[in-house]
Amino acid sequence: MECVVQGIIETQHVEALQILLQGLCGVPKDRVRVHEFCLKSGPNLGVVPSEVRLLCDLAQPTPTWTVRHAGGAMRGAGAEQLSVLVRSVVESKVSNNALRFFYAVGYKLDHELLKIGFAFRFQRVVPITVTVTSANRMPRLHAIDDAVPLTPGIQLVEITAPAAGDNYNEVAAAVSSFCEYLVPLLHLSKPGVSTGIVPTAAAAASSLLSNSGGKAI
Amino acid sequence: MPVKWLMHWQPNQGSTLSSQVLAEVCQCVEGFGAAAKDRKWRTTLTFYRPMARDSAAAPVSDVPRDLLGIALHDRPSAYFFILRHHRIILQADANVQLLMDKLQSYKARVVLHFEGSQYQLGDFQLRVGKCGPSMSETLRGIMMEVEYLPLSSIEKSRPIMEAFFDIWHETITKASLPGHFVISDSNFSDYGLQDYYSPQHTSLQYATCIAQLMSAGRS
Repeated sequence: MECVVQGIIETQHVEALQILLQGLCGVPKDRVRVHEFCLKSGPNLGVVPSEVRLLCDLAQPTPTWTVRHAGGAMRGAGAEQLSVLVRSVVESKVSNNALRFFYAVGYKLDHELLKIGFAFRFQRVVPITVTVTSANRMPRLHAIDDAVPLTPGIQLVEITAPAAGDNYNEVAAAVSSFCEYLVPLLHLSKPGVSTGIVPTAAAAASSLLSNSGGKAI
Repeated sequence: MPVKWLMHWQPNQGSTLSSQVLAEVCQCVEGFGAAAKDRKWRTTLTFYRPMARDSAAAPVSDVPRDLLGIALHDRPSAYFFILRHHRIILQADANVQLLMDKLQSYKARVVLHFEGSQYQLGDFQLRVGKCGPSMSETLRGIMMEVEYLPLSSIEKSRPIMEAFFDIWHETITKASLPGHFVISDSNFSDYGLQDYYSPQHTSLQYATCIAQLMSAGRS
């Protein structure tokens, strides 16, 4: 399982966000460069239609592959009250012929994205990952060198934390608490609940940049 | 990783498989001077079938019906999928089985266990096992895994393994057992596997072994 919230931020404020996160997390950032393949089951295959994502991590010297399946959001009154989304997720490392394998077992490529940005992975009560990325689409199949931004000027911020059936409330609280620090720059909410850009972002970003001498760490 | 060869039991015409035969094979191994080890071993093979969206409609077409999943006894954190027709071996973390369950596109239909005792004989590790469905005592086959610890190159190990097989074959013949072992030869290069032995080689050997056991059972 995982707890997750998302938000958007203008690209011009990402540097300030990075400075804020650096100060809060106290760990160096990791580079993110992931080629993401969204695969969907072919017609009539499977009891229900299904979707998997293949993630090829291009930030490593040798690309590594992961297959990921995210389930639906947890339902019920308890889940509704949480400000984070709780969902089942299974991730498994796979060999580099995974795309060929899923094509062979009847999955089709729905779309592919190149996600570029950075991530902070740290511990604050629970392990938390903050990822800031721009999503880029490819004009031709797998042409990552020619990728162009899907939403020019806007980047996605995602905060995730692993959870289990017996601790997701605590994990949700830890994530929500951390989100409070980011309020001046962006508003985070459950995926699918759109909140837009924060009006105070420009002023907050300006303040962060001037306090750090205008340099990102 | 040390090289392994797999062999499956081919009963003589008219004779049947039995746990008595398995016991006699183990006695032959012990007669070699092999020392039995305490731990048992088990490799599990799962046959998967595609699931159709609408069970009343025609079965889903254009998808493989030969998807095999393998959990190796000496790689508990890994899982292997094999598509024989497509010549694909996918290696994954063990939790990929959970992922496959959640997708509900393929369902495990038949689960077979290869399990038994293991022995140390100098530079060789030997595993003698029966093959049968999980939750059942039915014996579908008998097989052996022969591991040669000093070498990882398949080609370099070939003359040693062949010499071992000749001696082993002679032993079985002298014991007048109702059958003989046959090497389960896999075409590694068809699957893009190299000379350096790996768990992917082992998974392919088990896939080949079960195909040959099933064929031996039919004839």
